[in-house]
Amino acid sequence: MHDKLIQKLEILSDAAKYDASCASGTAGKRKAGKTDKTGIGSLTGGTGICHSFTPDGRCVSLLKILMTNYCIYDCHYCINRVSSSVQRARFTVKETVELTLNFYKRNYIEGLFLSSGIVGSPDLTMESMVRIAKSLRIDHGFKGYIHLKTIPNASPELQAEAGLYADRLSINVEMPTQLSLNKYAPEKDLGAIHSSMNTLKDKIAEHKVDKTHTGKRPPRFAPGGQSTQMIIGADGSNDKVILGASVQLYSQQKLRRVYYSAFSPIPDASEVLPLKPAPLVREHRLYQADWLLRFYGFTLDEIVHDDMLDMDHDPKLAWALRNRHVFPIDLNKADKLMLLRVPGLGARTVQKILAIRRYTKLSWMDLTKMRLPLQKLKPFITVSDYSPAIHLLDGNNFELQFKQPKQFELFGA
Amino acid sequence: MRTITITSVPGYNEWRIASRECLAQSIPPENIIWQSSESIQDDLFGHTEEVMPAPKEQVKHSIPKSVLMLFKYALCHQDASRFALCYRVLWRVIFENKNLIQLKTDEDILQLNTLAKAVKRDAYKMSAFLRFREVALDGQEHFIAWYEPEHFSLEVKLDFFQTRFKNMRWSILTPYRAAHWDTEKLVLEDNPDPSVCPDEDRIEKYWLTYYTNIFNPARIKKSAMLSSMPKKYWKNMPETALIDDMIRNSDARARKMITDGNKR
Repeated sequence: MHDKLIQKLEILSDAAKYDASCASGTAGKRKAGKTDKTGIGSLTGGTGICHSFTPDGRCVSLLKILMTNYCIYDCHYCINRVSSSVQRARFTVKETVELTLNFYKRNYIEGLFLSSGIVGSPDLTMESMVRIAKSLRIDHGFKGYIHLKTIPNASPELQAEAGLYADRLSINVEMPTQLSLNKYAPEKDLGAIHSSMNTLKDKIAEHKVDKTHTGKRPPRFAPGGQSTQMIIGADGSNDKVILGASVQLYSQQKLRRVYYSAFSPIPDASEVLPLKPAPLVREHRLYQADWLLRFYGFTLDEIVHDDMLDMDHDPKLAWALRNRHVFPIDLNKADKLMLLRVPGLGARTVQKILAIRRYTKLSWMDLTKMRLPLQKLKPFITVSDYSPAIHLLDGNNFELQFKQPKQFELFGA
Repeated sequence: MRTITITSVPGYNEWRIASRECLAQSIPPENIIWQSSESIQDDLFGHTEEVMPAPKEQVKHSIPKSVLMLFKYALCHQDASRFALCYRVLWRVIFENKNLIQLKTDEDILQLNTLAKAVKRDAYKMSAFLRFREVALDGQEHFIAWYEPEHFSLEVKLDFFQTRFKNMRWSILTPYRAAHWDTEKLVLEDNPDPSVCPDEDRIEKYWLTYYTNIFNPARIKKSAMLSSMPKKYWKNMPETALIDDMIRNSDARARKMITDGNKR
């Protein structure tokens, strides 16, 4: 390795930083077998380890780079679009493979997250990316995590091959509607993106079965599933449209994650873009709402009352404030779904409450010992020796007490 | 009063053997003084039973696996009270309530979970923040890391490192113990010499380059970074030397991103 590589790395990691997804997802367990004398790496079963954190609060888990930032497309929000004057570079297959292995051996990373500008044609680009993943897996017995950002419009055969080597595949939808894509990413076609996702979804399902009729296990195919990203605040789409698109992606395409990336100004930006960054709190609220949709049993209409999420309160609290009539909830009696709706109770806490409840009645003291946010919980709950004074829920100033004095931290991962 | 001295760290195996004997003799927790050899204190009551009569009949107690796992983690904590706590919980699980572990608000269970959680976190951070540096040893590449865990976390993570870096030769050095792996055998060494750890590595400059460039200066969130990566971990992580400069220059870099964006 020589210093030209440093220059390339500067350009191609800088270009990758606009992608919000940074953690490695869950993709089962994997390790070098007993007789394997050259392979390296493992997947531990959970989400990937965060090996470092940058001053923007993000976790560094993967070597997240672009294979190249040359691009024939002209997506306005993208720093690498063909009309941008940004400096260009390209990694060779060998360079990418060696960099990944060298980083991995020093315990810097969990694996590789590779995306790319489109150079030559979608198929040519995709082919090089697949070669990198294949070389890591086959030539070097790499058992770490590989996330490939598949190229929209690449042939189904190449996408299928990518799934054999990658743990996760993703295609960014970027905008929730075709209308917005037309304006900001004229070469991108939402229909084509969805059909790619559909193909991959079917492949993933096909390979998920334990055994085929011949009694063999099918090869792994993107065991970590698919993810995607939407840029928030570049176009005019409201939160209901954005979350509606997410709900569709989760239910129809079986996506594992939708990432939201608040638009932030990029160097050499295109004219159609807004000048101001989108507020980070909006991105944060979208992630919270996304969580409630997936893990807390809320529906879209419950979460987004108007077209936009409430910026002052987290979406669960906002729902509770609109639905005061269902509170207070008895923590000793309510079912799981209802407990999950109490502001201040997370999924893990709910599990704990259910476990304790089987053996003893919960008292106020128990809540203290569990270090729950009592101030927040107080108006919404009843336990064996406590119920809220009626005026707590009815007061006119009720909402005011939940005003956040400062912005929330963003999700690290 | 029985005094039991644990002579090794973390002391899991010694504790297990001693606990089994004490259980067989039905010695209640309040009649045992647990100490470790580094912190031997005078027994205030001055009365120590020297001979341990062999138990007549072994009663088999079945302990849920989840409880044993909690003990395993908690006993890697450096808190000297860990042995007594674990025995007390063991006693109570057997004679008081087999579901004790589910009572998350019981004082002993709270404390046990606190210790176990601290060790898990410490061990996780070790698997995350430990950095190998490459040296040539007998003509072969060998990777060495120096790491200072807060608890006895090396033991917790040995499996992880052996699995992940199975075909690499490596040494992990901590202040109390080192583990050396030659792709087949693991050798432990107490109180290793930290000076064998190299000061540099040929790939580190690429890592520093990556770390500087993957960060978005327009979204500084120092407190989020610090809560996940407190300063106590910084000294053995090469990239953290860059952080102050990255933050200092971030404003200018972010402004440049915007002014560049406004050149229309």
